[in-house]
Amino acid sequence: MPSPASIWVASARAVFTKDWRCELRSRYALNAIALFAVTTLVVTSAALGPAGTNKTLAINVLPAMLWLILLFAAAAGLPRAFVHEEESHTAIALRLAAPPSALFVGKLAFGVSLLLGIEALVAPLYLAVMSLEVASPGQLVIALVAGGYGLAVGSVLIAALASQARGRSTLFSVLAFPVLMPLLLIAIELTRNAVAGDPAGVALPQLLLYDGSVTIAGLMLFPAVWNP
Amino acid sequence: MELGGLGWIFAVNLIIWTGLFLFLLRIERRIAGLEAGGKGR
Amino acid sequence: MTRTISLGLRFGLWLVMAGCIWGAFFYAWSDPAFIGQSSRILFFHVPMAWTSFVAYFAAAVWSARYLWGGRRMRHDRAAAAAVECGVLFGVLATITGSLWARIEWGAYWNWDPRQTSIVVVLLFYGAYLALRSAMADREIRARISSVYALIALVVTPFFYFIVPRITESLHPEPVINAERKLDVDPRMFQVLIASALTYTVLFFWMHNLRARSQALVDATLDDPS
Repeated sequence: MPSPASIWVASARAVFTKDWRCELRSRYALNAIALFAVTTLVVTSAALGPAGTNKTLAINVLPAMLWLILLFAAAAGLPRAFVHEEESHTAIALRLAAPPSALFVGKLAFGVSLLLGIEALVAPLYLAVMSLEVASPGQLVIALVAGGYGLAVGSVLIAALASQARGRSTLFSVLAFPVLMPLLLIAIELTRNAVAGDPAGVALPQLLLYDGSVTIAGLMLFPAVWNP
Repeated sequence: MELGGLGWIFAVNLIIWTGLFLFLLRIERRIAGLEAGGKGR
Repeated sequence: MTRTISLGLRFGLWLVMAGCIWGAFFYAWSDPAFIGQSSRILFFHVPMAWTSFVAYFAAAVWSARYLWGGRRMRHDRAAAAAVECGVLFGVLATITGSLWARIEWGAYWNWDPRQTSIVVVLLFYGAYLALRSAMADREIRARISSVYALIALVVTPFFYFIVPRITESLHPEPVINAERKLDVDPRMFQVLIASALTYTVLFFWMHNLRARSQALVDATLDDPS
């Protein structure tokens, strides 16, 4: 008889692999996110040119643009995580198959891996087309990982709420914007410090605190979203 | 009373507050009437 | 008998609020550090802003009671009513603040941290109401919007760390001040506290009326005879 903990881990992993398998078959979120990110990247690049050569622009404008691109990419793809369960009527089967917290963790792992993959694609491309030189690359990687995690956890949680309502995709942006705004402001500040070569300061612990508290809130509140 | 002076602004504020107060009282009476099973008003 | 008492209490509220208005203009001192008599807007603006934050916490408390306190519909109606009344007080606080900012700082809007935080609160209120209107089933609506109110409560404290670092505040802090504790004229302080308490009572009265009228609407929808 397997222990409850190992069942929990197994169901979380099953949700994660199921989501990736579905995703690799349809490539809906992957295509939407990648195309969205690349399109916005092209538009920004065409409008600003190699703005990284201008020190003021590089520090004050480009970090904010990078995070806006990532925000739009996340909003284009991550709401899918729960909407497709409702549309294909698989939500009921999922309710029976996995405990809610395991389901949340599985979906979260899918969202985080998807978003970090997109960041790995977009961020180097962005640095290249903007000819942006980063003074402390390690700090930029930390900002991207911690910020990307926060973006994913906030988006997955809001996606679960929005999937229960009408007008899901428009509602997602309305609901997510206030929730993700502090995360974006901190992540932009951290990225700016990385570009300028300044120390991370209080922005890094605050970013980690945001990630931690939204994860805990998600684990506590998700059962109420998922189970009637 | 000087127009735009303190006394004038005080009077305007008092009128607004009294209006809101009477409005709330009227709504409360209607709600209480409906709760008692009547038609309100 | 109870009717007389409740009418008496309401008339008492009228009297206290009238007293606060009188105190704001004739009892309290006008701070000469500000242009003309403009500091007197404090006695209206600060209680309104305060009340809109009270509404925010009240909505979160009722949402938590809905989720973990037996899923009673009246708790959900109370949370929604708190948000609706909170919108009213928040918008009034924004308007009075902008009027004052025009006189003192020369512009209606300049993204002062306080202005940013009230905008964030109003955004959350708007998102909450949009979410509610997008769900027809009453039970699902109560569950999902309660969760959203609690997420908002978890996220908002971060604005208090971040926003002051992005822009410098010009907003005066006459009451809660880290360095100069209670360095405020005692009469000003008295009127401000009395006003804040009266606005809070007014908020709960309006909130009670809104929740009760929604209960009547829900009852009619259940039994439209």
